[in-house]
Amino acid sequence: MEKAFIPKITAFLCKWCSYTGADLAGTSRLQYPPAIIPIKVMCSSRVDPVFLIRAFLKGADGVLIGGCHPGDCHYQSGNYHTRRRFAILQSIFDSLSLETDRLRLSWISASEGPKFASVCNEFTDKITKMGPNPTRKNIFL
Amino acid sequence: MNKILITDQGAEQSVVEVLRFLLDNKKVGGVLTLRQTSKKGSLDYGLLTRSEELDRAVPLMPVMPANAAQILSSLTPAKKPIAAVVKPCELRGFVERIKREQGSLDNVLTISMTCGGVIPLDISIKTSKNKLTPKYYEQVKAGEIPENIRPTCKTCEHFVPMTADITISVVGEKGLDSTCRFILNSDKAASMTEGFGRIEDGGLDTKVLDDHLKKRQTKNKNLLESLKSQLDGLDGLVDIFGKCIGCHGCSRVCPICYCVLCDFESRSFDQNVTFYEEELTQKGALRLPPDTLFFHLGRLSHMSFSCVGCGQCADVCPADIPVASVFKKIGENTAALFDYVPGRDVEEDIPVMVFKEEEFKELGE
Amino acid sequence: MSKSSKPGIKIPVKNGIEQTVRTLLNKALGHSIDALLMPVKVPSKDSYAWILMQDSDVVNDASPMAAGMPVQGAKALKSLTRKGGGSLRVAALMRPCEVRAAIELVKLNQINLENVVLISYDCPGALPLSELSDNFEAAEKKFKVLLSSRCFDSPDVKPVCQFCTGFSMGAADIHIGLADGDTGHLLLISGSPKGKAFLSAAGLNVDEDLSAYKKQVDLILKKKTQKTKEIFQAVQPMVEGLENLAETFSNCIGCHNCQSACPICYCRQCYFDSKESKLEPAYYMEKAEKRGGVSFPHDRVLFHVGRMSHMSLSCVSCGQCTDACPVSIPVAKVFSYVASQTQQAFEYSAGKSVSEAIPLKEFKEDELQKIHEIVKSAESQESPHE
Repeated sequence: MEKAFIPKITAFLCKWCSYTGADLAGTSRLQYPPAIIPIKVMCSSRVDPVFLIRAFLKGADGVLIGGCHPGDCHYQSGNYHTRRRFAILQSIFDSLSLETDRLRLSWISASEGPKFASVCNEFTDKITKMGPNPTRKNIFL
Repeated sequence: MNKILITDQGAEQSVVEVLRFLLDNKKVGGVLTLRQTSKKGSLDYGLLTRSEELDRAVPLMPVMPANAAQILSSLTPAKKPIAAVVKPCELRGFVERIKREQGSLDNVLTISMTCGGVIPLDISIKTSKNKLTPKYYEQVKAGEIPENIRPTCKTCEHFVPMTADITISVVGEKGLDSTCRFILNSDKAASMTEGFGRIEDGGLDTKVLDDHLKKRQTKNKNLLESLKSQLDGLDGLVDIFGKCIGCHGCSRVCPICYCVLCDFESRSFDQNVTFYEEELTQKGALRLPPDTLFFHLGRLSHMSFSCVGCGQCADVCPADIPVASVFKKIGENTAALFDYVPGRDVEEDIPVMVFKEEEFKELGE
Repeated sequence: MSKSSKPGIKIPVKNGIEQTVRTLLNKALGHSIDALLMPVKVPSKDSYAWILMQDSDVVNDASPMAAGMPVQGAKALKSLTRKGGGSLRVAALMRPCEVRAAIELVKLNQINLENVVLISYDCPGALPLSELSDNFEAAEKKFKVLLSSRCFDSPDVKPVCQFCTGFSMGAADIHIGLADGDTGHLLLISGSPKGKAFLSAAGLNVDEDLSAYKKQVDLILKKKTQKTKEIFQAVQPMVEGLENLAETFSNCIGCHNCQSACPICYCRQCYFDSKESKLEPAYYMEKAEKRGGVSFPHDRVLFHVGRMSHMSLSCVSCGQCTDACPVSIPVAKVFSYVASQTQQAFEYSAGKSVSEAIPLKEFKEDELQKIHEIVKSAESQESPHE
């Protein structure tokens, strides 16, 4: 029997909000898929759009950035920049007809354990339906 | 209504005379202009300080050996005043560089022109200059788009300079061989050219330029259509950029790419053999050197919104990849997110440097 | 080079040279070798990319002898092995100039050949990259004819290829001999213990006499040596004296594509791109005032002569520089001309052997006596006025 497709989703999570939220989901025993591979960053604005592109081209089926809600950034304005950069990357992907739905930005605060779990579940579902990223197979990248 | 300077000489000669005037009357310490240097008539930019050097100057030559934005960065902040004759996209490129702390407009008199487009380098080096320009100017004077110019020039909607002190009227000027009109856009322009010649009230012929703009817009629409079919997902991208040889010439000649050590040439993305071994196991095969597509997507994410569509990148590409058309199109889309036009205004912040608290509400929910 | 007097084996050509090579390498894949490095046509079928492959389907799609050389093979090897390590046994099929560049890069600590078997072949030359871009299908066809007819004096290949005296066996572990004109067979020549082991693992025991083959190679070499003289004679007036040199490079736009494409120029940040070479705005103005004007790109000739002084000892005349130049400057011819002289001064041959140190890396206390004499005589004279 063929193994079911378990996606690999790289998740850049800011230490102060999203990563803590993820921890909370864990300690609260809320289920979220093993597809998520968390990478802690100090702030979501540490994420150069190049990181998302790299993960995407190296075969990540989905890439998620988790940051603090706008206005709540630990460093005042980091996440506003994240939002703009994400908008730009989305526009680039759209213009090139690359699968923009594989990229996701989500504001998850430290106390939003349930939100973290539900975002992960929802995103993983969507990615599973989309199937593996074609970059996994393309040898000419 | 502006003040315009009118001459009774052909455009190229008139520009040379204005530059001579500026030098001889010590209004500037030097002028930056295109000139023919070698026996075979090679073209390059020169910073000239003596008017005798203007003998081989060809300020309006529709060729771009290098994007002058980079040169202006090397020359500024200028302690002594200089005048520079540059194309509109070069000026826009310089404005973008200034926003990135790579130069200054202080002490610089910018002279640009309504631009009919630039002839690609591979054509210009093979053709003698007197064979190159007659057909070109025939079409430009008639307000037509010349045949043999860069694809990005044919589709460029910003052929009227945005921040120039002086705009030379070229596109649609039927009398270009015997008269020249310089639109003086600033006080600096007026004071520096005072005493040169006949001044009248006037401006650019907006009807002629609007007609020409419509032609460019049509070409732009056609380009977008043809690109849409090519930029069709991952496979389309690999088709276009698959033959990239990784020379990075595109980024080196780009007026916006000013990084001394590009991210994509640094150690950040070096891999060791074990990394390749893992990837090989997963994919069965992989390309070396790696990261061909990554470089282009990464460069788009870093600078697309500032792309001025000069087309220098495509001219320099050894693999004949239409880099300029792709980058210009993507750039227009990413800049549009912020109603941004690169090079429009030196005071206008680069979109990634600022933010609004209330925007892109749909992102991040 | 193997010390055995009979270090070769003839194998029949089945369905063309490239297919014969693919079959041979496919057999070795998974046994004596874990992966192969060969050119493969890109999906748009208008160029080649270096692909490291384990999958035999990909091997069957590969073009072992590509019509052109978009990327120097040594660069592909460098990106794979620069950091060394790992246990991947790779066989890389490359042109002789790519092998030479790899040997130089080993000495420059940029390539690790420990787990690499280098395979080269008698090279008819490569077609210019622009020809591949203009009409790939035609270029591919043309090259296949050169290969199958064993033609080594085509006037259609890149100029540097036309005078390449290194077209045959060099330092590779295995060399595919094609120059003896026997279109029904190809020769597999072992060049090292590693090569011999690879061949015997493939069930091929070297026992062929190579004297007939070597005779043919020598005949071709004579022609190439003559061609070298001709081309260098033509290059000499292009570069003799500052005026001629400046004229030759007068179209240069300072894009530095030649340096990026060069396999030897491995510096992440070329000196001529560094902050050190960027001068203050006031400097340009001062210089312009002194001379009446100053050109951009600045220090055009300095870049080229500087690059020569840095890498000409290792120049392998692969011609990537000319392929990459957007204004058709014959960089490769000029650099090859200079390199042949700088290398001859030290009796050094770039890419010949890993054990032959790059002349700038070592010295003898008693050498270049002539220079001492020149300096001595200058000291005893009045210093010239500026």
